[in-house]
Amino acid sequence: MNKKTFVITIPILVVLLASLFASKRPDTLETIAINYGFKGQAKEISSLFTGYSFPFIHNQFMSSFCAGIMGLFIIYVLYKVVKRFVK
Amino acid sequence: MHIPDGFLNNNLAGCFVVGALGMLGYCLSKILKAATIFTGALMGNNGNSNIGSASFGFSDNASKYFQNLAIIAIWVFAFQMFNIPIQSATSAHLIGGVFAAVLAGPLEGFVIMSSVLILQGLFFSDGGILALGANIFNMAFVGSFLSYYIYKTFLNKNHYLAVFAACLFSVLTASLSCLIELSISGTVSFLTAFEDMMNMHLIVALLETGITLVLLKIFKNLTRDTDE
Repeated sequence: MNKKTFVITIPILVVLLASLFASKRPDTLETIAINYGFKGQAKEISSLFTGYSFPFIHNQFMSSFCAGIMGLFIIYVLYKVVKRFVK
Repeated sequence: MHIPDGFLNNNLAGCFVVGALGMLGYCLSKILKAATIFTGALMGNNGNSNIGSASFGFSDNASKYFQNLAIIAIWVFAFQMFNIPIQSATSAHLIGGVFAAVLAGPLEGFVIMSSVLILQGLFFSDGGILALGANIFNMAFVGSFLSYYIYKTFLNKNHYLAVFAACLFSVLTASLSCLIELSISGTVSFLTAFEDMMNMHLIVALLETGITLVLLKIFKNLTRDTDE
């Protein structure tokens, strides 16, 4: 595998590892919100991949992995569109 | 550190959205202008923003430039997914603002971080929609754009020191501005939560420094040979 391939495979690998091992604990701001009693004020909005999970996939790992890969893909497409717009 | 909707006062959140859109428009116009007139090498920015030092004539470098911005954004997104457990019952992830700004430059860092935050807000419900402006201010403007200048200030002394100072500034100032926004909105008292917020983010800042240093080394090593 050449170095150029690694530039792409590393984020995919990180998404894979994150789907398996990422901590499910609340993040820093959530912890502050829980400790100081304002967590309830948060308005949960639902979107396509809410909570980094892919709709219709019930396996937690696959759901999270597919959502993450979709995230990478959307960024790629976004920059591709901007690039085309420049040309 | 992604603020959800409901934590901020609507007026304040609205002001941040307007400010973020203005800054994003400015940065994008500068980047697009630079990309369309570029003939020289654009990436590999190591303390010097190349914008403004270009000559006329569109070239393939612009295409390579956008490809690199996309790859940096992809790295930031992927690493932000990886939550690492820190102290009791809390987790944290890389912000990546310093990583993006050191590799691409301050304006590009802002755009990369904003694009990742917008994606997270719109598609992943990670951070609110109305709170997007405040999140962009905290993590893209303070966490990436301003942090770049801290990095640049210390760069002539030592690269490692510069990254450390920039990461420390990035995480602590971003969390401070987050806390100020919350206290202006009347969500939490600034003085009550200050110590907890700073203690927690000091650990995050150290993690950010370590991960950023490793990622910068790997990324530069991987892209050096491909920039033929």
